[in-house]
Parts: sequence; structure tokens; C-alpha cells
Amino acid sequence: MIDGLLELARHRVEGGGGADALERRVERSSVAFEWGRLKAAGVTQEGGVNLRVLHRGRVGIAGTTNVGVGDAAAQHAAPLLERALASAELGEEVALVFPAPAKLPRLATHVARAADASLERLIQIGQGLLERLAREGCQVNVAIEREVAETRVANTAGAQGTYRSTGVALSADLWRIAGDDVLAIGDALEGCDLPADDALDGVVRSITTRLDHALHIVAPPEGALPVVFTPTGLSAVLLPVTQGLSGKAVVQGISPLGNRVGEQVFHAGLSLTDDPLASGRTASRPLDDECVPSRVTCLVQGGVVQRFVYDLETAARAKTESTGHGQRGIFGKPVPAYTNIVLGETGNAKREAWNGLGGGLLRDITDGLLVDELIGVGQGNVIAGAFSHPVALAYRVERGEITGRVKDAAVAGNAYDLLKRIGGFGSDARWAGSRYAPSVLLEGVAVARR
Amino acid sequence: MIDRLTAALQGSRADFTEIRVETSWSSAVSVRGRRLESATASEDQGGFVRALNRGCGWGTASFTSLDQLEAMVVRADELSRAVRLDRPIRLAPVPPQQAEAILDLDGDVRGVPLADKKRLIEAYNGAMLAVSDRIVDTLATYRDEVSEYWYVNSEGTVLHELRPEVTLSGTAVARRDGTIEKGLESIGLRRGWNAVQHEAAGFRAAAERAVGLLEASSVQGGAYPVVLDPELAGVFIHEAFGHLSEADFVYENPQAREMMTLGRRFGKKVLNVGDNGAAPGLRGTLPFDDEGTPTQDSALIREGLLVGRLHSRETAAAMNERPTGNARAISFRHPPIVRMTNTYIGNGRGTFDDLIKDIKLGVYACSAFGGQTLLENFSFTAAYGHMIRDGAVAELVKDVVLAGNLFQTLDRIDHIAGDFRWNQMGGGCGKAGQYPLPVTEGAPHVRIEEALIGGDVPA
Repeated sequence: MIDGLLELARHRVEGGGGADALERRVERSSVAFEWGRLKAAGVTQEGGVNLRVLHRGRVGIAGTTNVGVGDAAAQHAAPLLERALASAELGEEVALVFPAPAKLPRLATHVARAADASLERLIQIGQGLLERLAREGCQVNVAIEREVAETRVANTAGAQGTYRSTGVALSADLWRIAGDDVLAIGDALEGCDLPADDALDGVVRSITTRLDHALHIVAPPEGALPVVFTPTGLSAVLLPVTQGLSGKAVVQGISPLGNRVGEQVFHAGLSLTDDPLASGRTASRPLDDECVPSRVTCLVQGGVVQRFVYDLETAARAKTESTGHGQRGIFGKPVPAYTNIVLGETGNAKREAWNGLGGGLLRDITDGLLVDELIGVGQGNVIAGAFSHPVALAYRVERGEITGRVKDAAVAGNAYDLLKRIGGFGSDARWAGSRYAPSVLLEGVAVARR
Repeated sequence: MIDRLTAALQGSRADFTEIRVETSWSSAVSVRGRRLESATASEDQGGFVRALNRGCGWGTASFTSLDQLEAMVVRADELSRAVRLDRPIRLAPVPPQQAEAILDLDGDVRGVPLADKKRLIEAYNGAMLAVSDRIVDTLATYRDEVSEYWYVNSEGTVLHELRPEVTLSGTAVARRDGTIEKGLESIGLRRGWNAVQHEAAGFRAAAERAVGLLEASSVQGGAYPVVLDPELAGVFIHEAFGHLSEADFVYENPQAREMMTLGRRFGKKVLNVGDNGAAPGLRGTLPFDDEGTPTQDSALIREGLLVGRLHSRETAAAMNERPTGNARAISFRHPPIVRMTNTYIGNGRGTFDDLIKDIKLGVYACSAFGGQTLLENFSFTAAYGHMIRDGAVAELVKDVVLAGNLFQTLDRIDHIAGDFRWNQMGGGCGKAGQYPLPVTEGAPHVRIEEALIGGDVPA
């Protein structure tokens, strides 16, 4: 539909403007196991178009899910364009430049095996996981969702790209309630293909290891202590940094990193990269949602801030170029967004053999914590760096060993200060959603008990 | 549409089938700093079919192309049959409902030009910017929606509703050297254009708060007597207790069921909690839930004792209790699950001054940046706070994070004032990927005799 739509738009926009559009069709299949048994199977079919026009120097946006095929699609194009032009009448002036055609990187985003997997196959994967996680006194929820999508983006400058993609997301949560002690331990996998056997083994091992260590409850330590954050536990520390590295925050003048490009802001061992070309990841794509070809962006290298991520509009406002981070849904306008964030070495680095929680970082800790999940991450004034969170799942580490789970403890600090004091990186780097990171040891984290 | 839906139902081979169809018109205008961020009008439409067969699980199908309706009815039935169950799913009975419910549109937003909406939100944004030159960034958003809704099921329920919604939100960011603080304003109403014409004062107050916080010091972490303002008390009861009372957490989990046994003491006699989906004029209010069950006022805690929980038809049948009208879906993209509506702490006695007069050193925690509960543990970030010294409200403090154990904290609520109010905020509740669900929270001022305040934790 969007080619006809852009052709219509080309004739209507005035003042040297243009247009770009995204069309996406998605079909999802899901199975849900609730409290230990298969409960539901579902399917979702969704399609929609998002259109942006630059008309008399102003930007207008419109989106619709009311998209048919063939003649029906043509009927829906005109009203959508009218709405976009009406939106532009009110719009702010932006010196937006739609990118010219460019060569796109080759990238496999579609795995036939995942696309063709039957509902029975998805049920079988879930059933297998459920059986392996079954424990006396525990309840398990498992959800599996498989997505097959086709995306087309194009603009009036002639740039365009179409790609098919697949995604499989699996999550498992184990619940153990003993009196008023509620313990929930989860893990998740995400990728373009069905999960491999060793990945499923990893989920079982990760959940059962954390469960075994959690059964014994110990008193939390107190004071400024060494704390190991697991790949999932790292969110509280990394969130201020990724928010601060967004070109949008920089343009708004609210990023503490805004004027610090080239400065040593973090520990020399810290590197952060955004990698839209990482193989097998659902966030990977050959081009962004604004027709900018994908490329790897180095954000922090050796602790030195390198650059920020931009979409077309924030880049225009910052008088720089888009880094290919435009992301758009069916409704609303594109926004800068990360794809795959990689901490440390790139995502393809070889993983070492499993050597327990903390990836080998616990050895030299006399008294400290291993933090796997915190409560309330993302609340409050995140970008300023200060955080204070009760632990959801954390363990006490004494003389190099986990001695039990701690409850009723909170960790606090400032992410920008703590990331200057990195005590080491674990050998357990893994994907957690769209972030690839190892465990990280931070020195002098404030730990309080209540 | 009703004829088409009832005809599609006839085509289903499943023992139970329900169809929801929604068309929604929405518009949104955002202003950031002195610039318009975006002004859009959108149209969204689609349907959801859910089917159930004896001895089988739920089959669901969601779709944006209404041409697919009949095919999706067949698909949902097939998916249900693919899920074999040993223990069958039962649905608690609900008498068939037929209703044509047009909620008060109070100025139909569909008839208001986008330019007028832009003018309105620019004025509110301007009110924030005018407060001080220390306001370095603002974001003000106007959003409205009118949703036309149809629901039919194979038991004879036929519903047609027109549901309006309008929300305003504002964020003011103040900066002084390296210090950045923010203030929030949020209004959400199941009303229309007329209801949001006089809101500048709230936006101005948010900006003043952001500027005020630049001078405030962080609260010293520790255990204090804490008084929650009605807004934070409402968020607290929703997050810390409300989610536990959703029966889908309990109904098939024997240990959870034991933890939530009716009659268990959850608090002192002053504590009364409920959820009222039928309360007039609130954002969480609707005549029926998304299974066609009439909404109602459900008592959850009465005089400190657990007396009820929130149900869908499935969870009610499994626990031999009655459906409460709490099966809700955020849109046709999702199945109905057990959710809250308008959740409240019931009114107590006396005034705010009565709550603080005998506190020597305490914290008055106000408004909420956010909150999260992981069942027994919770964490709430107040937007700001004041110290209470010698029975009076003292200096402004920031970074007030209230954290604790739900059971202990509910039990430590020892005084509830008689100044109840509903907090008509925007945003919404999130659960199982369904966000934001329109809900409302209400409470009076509430005192907790001792609670842990995070913030500046002494190293």
C-alpha cells in the first residue's frame, strides 16, 4: 500500500517536502501454560501503516490499522494522507531530509524453521520446559510466542527496504510461596529461531541454580560493599547511561553526558555498543524505520563517551546525522531507540563454560551481595543517575561463596559514580532481552537492611 | 454490526464463543519545551474472538482486518480444540445482558478541531514554562479517545457502548548546574472536551515543585512514621495490595490460596479496602467488564480482615465464588484478564493534622513518580516529600522512596483520616503485557506507624 500512498503524497506536499511511510504486517501465535498446565492458544493478525509528511517545512503524522489489500488499500490511502497533511498544518518546522537510496547490509532476519513451526511444536517446547522445571511446592508459568512479520519502509527520495522477520520469545517463571515468603524466579529467551536445546538447558539451569541458593534465607550485610550485578540485575545501573546517551535527551539539554563526548566518564574497561546487525536477534534489521541503513554504533569505548543515537528528527535538531535509530509504530511519530545493546566485547564473543552465578566474580568477595533483580527500576529521576531499590532477588556472598538469599535489603548509589569503580567483568555474558552483558562487580555500593 | 456479530456466532462450533469488536478514534498533541512535538489523529479497529470447548483450553484470535471475522471465529475454535485439559475450565454463570450504553461524552472530542486541542495544551505547557527560567524542559501531552465497542457471546449477551476518555499529562524539568529535578501533573477522565478546560493550576504547581526540589535535600534513609497523601496512599493500595487480590494469582496455586484465605487479618480495624467498577464518573468505571459481567463495588478488606477478591468468570467458578466484573482487556489485541477498576482505601476519621500532631520526626510522602510490587515486597517513589517535625509539616525533601514488606506495612497502618478523595490520574495499570489500563485510585491521608524510607542510604 505504501508505494501508492507515497506517490499520492509526492503530488500533494508543498515547499520542497516529501514523505516516508512504514507498513508492517504481523502474525503471532502463542501458547500459555498457567500454573503448570497448558491453558490457552492464540493467534494475532495485525497490519498497519504509519505515514509522515514534510509539508511546507512542517512535519505531519498519521497512522491506521484500517488497511485492506488491493483496491481496498487504495481507498484507505487518501484519507490517511489527508490526516497527515492536517497534522502538518499544526506541525513545527523541522529541516528534515529524507535519506537517498543506499546499499543495505545483508542480514538474515527470517528463519523458516521458526516461521513454519506448528502450534504442536510450540506446545511441545513448553511442555518439555514445564516438566524439567517441576518442583514440589512450586508452580510454573511458561509462555511462548512466535511472530512472523513483513516490514516495508520507503520514502519519496527513493530509498526503500523490505524484509521479513521471525521472532520467538519464551518466558518461564517459577513461583514458590511458603507462608508469607513469596519467591518468583524467571528467565526468558528471545531470538529469530526456535530456542536451541542448549539455550533451553540454560534456562533450566539458571532457574534451578537460583532457586537452590534461594531456599536458605540469611541476614543481609550492611554498608558500602562489593556488589555483583548479574546480566539481568544490571538494568538499574545501565538505564541512566542509555537514557543519557539518547540524542533526544541531549537535544533537550537533560543528559548529564550531553557535553562530554571524548571524556573519560566511566571505568576504562567499559564499552557500550549498539549493534543492529547482531545475528539471530529480534531487534536486528537491515535498515531502521526511516530508511537509514543499519550500522554498528560505538557509544562508549574504554570508558570514553563516543557518540549518541539519533533518528532523523532529533539529528536534524542537533545538526548532525541520523545514526539509524529511528523506530516507529503504527501510531505516533518515529523516536530514537536502541536495537541490541552490547556491554563489553561484541555479542559474538565466545562464552566460557558455566562457572556458577556471578561468572567467577564472587571469588574475591569477603562480604557482599549478588543482585539478580531489583524492585522499582525506572521509577523516579532516572537520568540523573541516583537510584535506591529494594532487592527482589539477591544473595549474600561471604568468603567467595553464596551463603543464601537476602530479603529486606536495599541497594543504592549513583550509576555514574559506580561505573567508575568497576571491580571486574564476569565470564557469563549472555543476552537478556536485547542487551548482551556479563555480570559486573561494582565496588562500594550502599547496602541497607531494614 | 450487531447482526453481523450474532451471525458470526452462529457459525461457531465451540461450546462457548465471545466476540469483541472495537473502533477507536484518538488524537494526541504533545508539546515539548517551546516546540510542538506532534499532533496526530488515529483510527484503530479490530476484533477479538475467544472460544472454549469442553475438556479443552481457551482459543483466541485477534485481528485488525474485520473481513477476517468469520475465519477468526473458526480459528479460535480450532485453537481451543488443540489445547487438551484434564481439569476442565468452567465459567461462573452470569445472566445474559443486553444493553446500549452511551456514556456521557461531555463534549465529543471527535468534533473538536486538532488546532483547538493544540491551543489548549500549549496554554498548559506555557503555564509550566512561565514559572521560572530554571525550567529547562517541559513535556505536555493532550490525548483523547472515543471507542465504539460491541460485545456478543453465545449465551445471549449483546452490548454496545460508546466509551470516551481524555487525559492530560505534564512533566516539568528544572535544572541548576548539575542538579536535575522534575515535577509531574496527570489527569485522566472518562469524559470529554468540556472536562479539561480549567487545568492550568495543576501544571503550574508541577513546575513549581520541580524548581522547589532543586533546593531540597535528599531525605535521610531510615525508619520513620510516614504519612501518605491521598494520591500516594491510592497508588500504594493498588500496587501493594490490589494485585494480590486478583484471583488469577490465587485460584490454581494452592500456596497462594492459603496465603490469601478469606478471614485472614491484613491490618488493624481502621483499614477498609475495596474496588468499585461501578463508581459514577471515574476512569476505571464501565457498566460491564469485557466478559459482559456487570461491574460492582467489591469489599476486599473490612475492618482489617480479608473478605473478598476480584474475579473473572473462570476464576470465580474455580473458587466457588461470584464473578465481580473484573475481567478486563485493554483492547481487542488482548484477552480479558482479572484487573482492578477503581481501587480505594475507605474513609476514616479526623483530619490530616490529627495524623501528624503526635509525630516528633517523620516523613510526609506525597504524590507518586511510580511504584512496583513484587508481591510481598514493594517500592514507591514519591514525587516529593516533607519532613514532619514536632507535629508540623517542615522542609521539602526529595528522593523519597518508600520500600517494604506488604504484610508488615498494611499491619502498621494505624490512623486513617476522613478526607477521602479519588485521584483522577492518567497513565494506567500494567499486567501481563496489557498497559495502560484505565484505573482510578482513591484514599484519604493514611499514617503508617513505621516504614523504611530509602533515599540517601548512609554508606
